[in-house]
Amino acid sequence: MARRGRLIVLAMAVSAVTAACTRSSSPPVDQTKAGGPGTGTSAAPTQPVNEDAKALAGFLDHVNQYVTLHQKLENTLPKLSKESTPQQVDSHQRAFGKLLQDARKDAKQGDIFTPESQAVIKKLITKVFSGPDGASLKASVMDENPGVPNLQVNARYPDEIPVSTIPPQLLEGLPKLPEEMEYRFVGNDLILMDTHAHIISDFIPNTFVR
Amino acid sequence: MTALKRASIACLVIGLFLPLDARHVRIDASAPQAPQASGGLPLTVPNKSDSLKFAVLGDFGTGSKQQYELATQMKQAHDQFPYNLVVLVGDNLYGSERPQDFKKKFEDPYKPLLDAGVKFYASLGNHDDPQEQRNYKLFNMDGKRYYSFKPDGKQSVRFFALESSYLEPQQVAWFEQELKDSNSDWKIPYFHHPPYSSGERHGSDPQIRSALEPLFLKYNVSVVLTGHDHFYERTKPQKGIVYFVVGAGGQLRKGNIDTKTGLSAAGNDQDQSFMIAEINGDEMWFNAISRQGRVFDSGSITRRK
Repeated sequence: MARRGRLIVLAMAVSAVTAACTRSSSPPVDQTKAGGPGTGTSAAPTQPVNEDAKALAGFLDHVNQYVTLHQKLENTLPKLSKESTPQQVDSHQRAFGKLLQDARKDAKQGDIFTPESQAVIKKLITKVFSGPDGASLKASVMDENPGVPNLQVNARYPDEIPVSTIPPQLLEGLPKLPEEMEYRFVGNDLILMDTHAHIISDFIPNTFVR
Repeated sequence: MTALKRASIACLVIGLFLPLDARHVRIDASAPQAPQASGGLPLTVPNKSDSLKFAVLGDFGTGSKQQYELATQMKQAHDQFPYNLVVLVGDNLYGSERPQDFKKKFEDPYKPLLDAGVKFYASLGNHDDPQEQRNYKLFNMDGKRYYSFKPDGKQSVRFFALESSYLEPQQVAWFEQELKDSNSDWKIPYFHHPPYSSGERHGSDPQIRSALEPLFLKYNVSVVLTGHDHFYERTKPQKGIVYFVVGAGGQLRKGNIDTKTGLSAAGNDQDQSFMIAEINGDEMWFNAISRQGRVFDSGSITRRK
């Protein structure tokens, strides 16, 4: 039921920002009608779920799996205190990054951003960037954002490269991420960054025409 | 009462009266400098005992000679005008952020201020690693990427530090709730990307403006502090609000103020600079000070009600 509710929320978000999503989202399902206690059956969907929302829900499932691993590994390290020195924070970040890199040594592009979700997110970006404010939005994203050749999943985000701005208008449409993760652009590639470990967890290449 | 009247500004620039519609003032760093007053910087703030005194600094963490020289002027200003907090408008460390960088680009240049008990409250710019900096004790972020605080003292002021490179809906909602809950007379947001700026390199950020300006207007914000463009600029009131760009704390982009924007009330794109301010009741006084010790912009702002 929780998953279905999330799909509905995602469907509403997607339909609000993408022209392609023309089907209306499902209204919340009344739980008392979706499968009564003692029936022994799970709730059957009573209305179709937006395919784009389903794709984004699949993406969030992978995000959640990643975050579970993230939390498990982070808990093996000493906790940072409010008195931590820069040395301790830096050592913690790099040690954590190493743990994640080792645990995901076979990770590849598209593991978290599933192919289906990549298509939906690219569509969203295209929609936002082709609007009346598209040029200034692009300029904002590309400000001090030269890109990185050979972007790699599981690599440390380059220390010398500033992070891009993510326009609020785009964040309104993208699926909400847990605190441990955030979206950024590197050039026109959308990356998923592990903010605690400073690691590129996944990316979508060439999300818009520069 | 019009918004303009509510935020009336009396502007004195190095002894000259600068009308509101005046173009910004450029200071040529290569020109002979006016001698400093023998007692130190020629500050014009009232320096009253019960006022809130603070400084503003942005785009500073380069580790350069210029950053250190400006830090010396900040200490000089502190000797004359004992502010006890500095708000940082982002790009606090450029390049790598190893422990030695925190020392070279922050702790060493501002050691005299830190030793004097001055507290620095950071906001994050696009060059800042959130994980490193929000956990850095001397930036007083308490592990948060955005936060608000109310300084001790008799003045009714609350500051709001935002992360403008990642204004997700939750942050905007948090900000609105904080503004709504605050009963402070002065609500001062500070963050990196300027909603209004005459920078040729960056300039005004319309996305940030459209996300935040309605809240500034709704909750009677009078002053907004930003950086990102590597110069100093004070805008003419925009819908009654004065925007400061204080982005030359170490970096400097000479000649980058576009005089054609019509936004500027005053500016300096010829030398590194910082700002001091003093709030007493409904008035905020400010001085902008260059690396060479010139007070090149000053005045006062009456808060919106």
